[in-house]
Amino acid sequence: MNKKFMSLALAGMLMLTLASCGQKTGDSGQAGNPKIGVTIYKYDDNFMSFVRRAIETNAQGKAELILNDSQNSQATQNEQVDMMISKGVKALAINLVDPQAAPSIIEKAKTKNLPIIFFNKEPNAEVLKSYEKCWYVGTESKEAGIIQGKMIADLWKKNPNWDKNKDGKIQYVLLKGEPGHPDAEARTKYAVEEIKNAGIEVEQLELQTGMWDTVKGKELMDAWLSKHGDKIEFVIANNDAMALGAIQSLKAAGYFTNGKFMPVVGVDAIPDAIQQIKDGLMVGTVLNDAKNQGKATLELALNAAQGKDPIEGTQWKLDENKAVRVPYIAITKDNLNVAEEAYK
Amino acid sequence: MINTKNIKETLMNNAIYVVLVALLVIIVIMSPDFLSIVNFRNILTQASTRIIIALGVAGLLITQGTDLSAGRQVGLAAVVSASLLQAPNYAYRMYPNLKQLNIFIPILLVMIICGIFGMLNGIVISKLHVTPFIATLGMMIIVYGVNSIYFDRPPYGAQPIGGLDPKFMKFAQGSFNIGGFIIPYLVIYAAIVTLIMWFIWNKTKLGKNMYAIGGNPEAAAVSGVNVAKNLIILYTIAGILYGFAGSLEAARVGTATNNTGNMYELDAIAACVVGGVSFSGGIGTISGVVIGVIIFQVINYGLAFIGVSVYLQYIIKGLIIISAVAIDTRKYIKKK
Repeated sequence: MNKKFMSLALAGMLMLTLASCGQKTGDSGQAGNPKIGVTIYKYDDNFMSFVRRAIETNAQGKAELILNDSQNSQATQNEQVDMMISKGVKALAINLVDPQAAPSIIEKAKTKNLPIIFFNKEPNAEVLKSYEKCWYVGTESKEAGIIQGKMIADLWKKNPNWDKNKDGKIQYVLLKGEPGHPDAEARTKYAVEEIKNAGIEVEQLELQTGMWDTVKGKELMDAWLSKHGDKIEFVIANNDAMALGAIQSLKAAGYFTNGKFMPVVGVDAIPDAIQQIKDGLMVGTVLNDAKNQGKATLELALNAAQGKDPIEGTQWKLDENKAVRVPYIAITKDNLNVAEEAYK
Repeated sequence: MINTKNIKETLMNNAIYVVLVALLVIIVIMSPDFLSIVNFRNILTQASTRIIIALGVAGLLITQGTDLSAGRQVGLAAVVSASLLQAPNYAYRMYPNLKQLNIFIPILLVMIICGIFGMLNGIVISKLHVTPFIATLGMMIIVYGVNSIYFDRPPYGAQPIGGLDPKFMKFAQGSFNIGGFIIPYLVIYAAIVTLIMWFIWNKTKLGKNMYAIGGNPEAAAVSGVNVAKNLIILYTIAGILYGFAGSLEAARVGTATNNTGNMYELDAIAACVVGGVSFSGGIGTISGVVIGVIIFQVINYGLAFIGVSVYLQYIIKGLIIISAVAIDTRKYIKKK
């Protein structure tokens, strides 16, 4: 009897859950606006959550969005694309899980002649050319590295006391993103190259992958601090999440108090990082402009859905690879308002 | 009067189906265009690789075992088969000098590799008497490590393996068009695997032994069943199925990374349980497994189709799994 009751209760809960969420569907906007299918490679990615918000804000009153969390699985994403196509979307805005999967998505869109805007994860230029109705919105990977490198060089020249052993060289540790990720490779390469271009000698103490992740960034920094201690003069991170991890580790090791300091730079300018710069724990970051990436993605998708030229009536320009490049901006404590503005 | 009691009994025993049909009705009411051939085909196609994986795991569940390494084995198979089947004109090949292989060679190869890993699972469980949960948990981590080492190395490091041979992609993405009715190849592969497994479970000694071991391992051993040998064969078969599913997964998606297949085992186990395979062993049918996977996929697809928030989808799926087992346990206790 008890068991019976329990199973019935569970079944009841199930029904209630579904019934109660019936109204709150992921679709927004009124009927009549073009349906646009959007996938985000994973919802719990800090940066992409801001891009998603920008897409939603810009879509208000103009488009009906179908948003999907691809849960960091390309297989899931492919299935979501099938589903959205069968729901009759007029355009797809795809944040690929895996940049190499673009051909499979294009194949699916081709069957219904649907336009695709890939965003944030860039497919191969040849793949983009293979289908007339697809474009890309994103940044140029190497630009973030170049801007980060310039920023490091500027800050280093302005702060001679950061050269703890007075040998004129930067002894740095570098937290790299996911190996093979084009952003990670480019940021790593061009940041260091740009410091050298500015006439500063560098010495790499450590370079390891922190997989874009705060916890891994902290754990690596813990290990490096116990190995090198004060020999480290600069912490360069491929993104802010890892930089924040490094700061946690540095704090625990007694940095940022009693005059003990370590310059840390990241990329992305996520709100947490802006706060750390304000508090003087982080010296700089590079704004990956979520607001404008989301805006450009939606504007292109909306134009394409209506059969117009994708950049018609917008501020964006396409480069020779059918891509809109949203520029990066260097953020230090002198221009924090620029970054803060980006999240309003 | 007798009838009401019987009907009540039947409804209780099949409560999970009642709930699921109700869910389906809600989905259709909220979005009537859910009932379309395209959606039906999408669901079946998406269920195909999952059916193959689930059929592997199901046999192990029936022997009171389990297999947490299934997903990672799928990932290994996907990466290895993809790495050997990149298009010759693709610029970033893992083996730049490899000539174009017949697509069946790598597929067979990964079936053998995963078969060996499955066999190792079986040996550890039956000879070293490590509980299946722990044995396959260990194997899950090992396989991921092996896969990552294979995946992350020169010339291009940990690059997702893309640019697959169009023939290989077609093997999974293609379809027959019979008088305007499109049947995807994947559905046919799943059907063939289902037939083979049905034969093994129902018409061979191995199948009978499988149920006997699951019902009562001691009794099976006493009555002359070589438990160890049967277990090793069943785990090997499961591995072979993961290998096949993994190569299909790579071809279906168009790329593979060392993260492909992550957590697929949990989907498969959940689907088996929903389809009436008992976690306490001895009970389960092929049709149940296939229906379980399809039902799960209908819910997955349907909830996304009507636009239920992804976080609520997790809650609903969790509740489905728990209620399925609650009902399953009820049946089991009754049998005793």
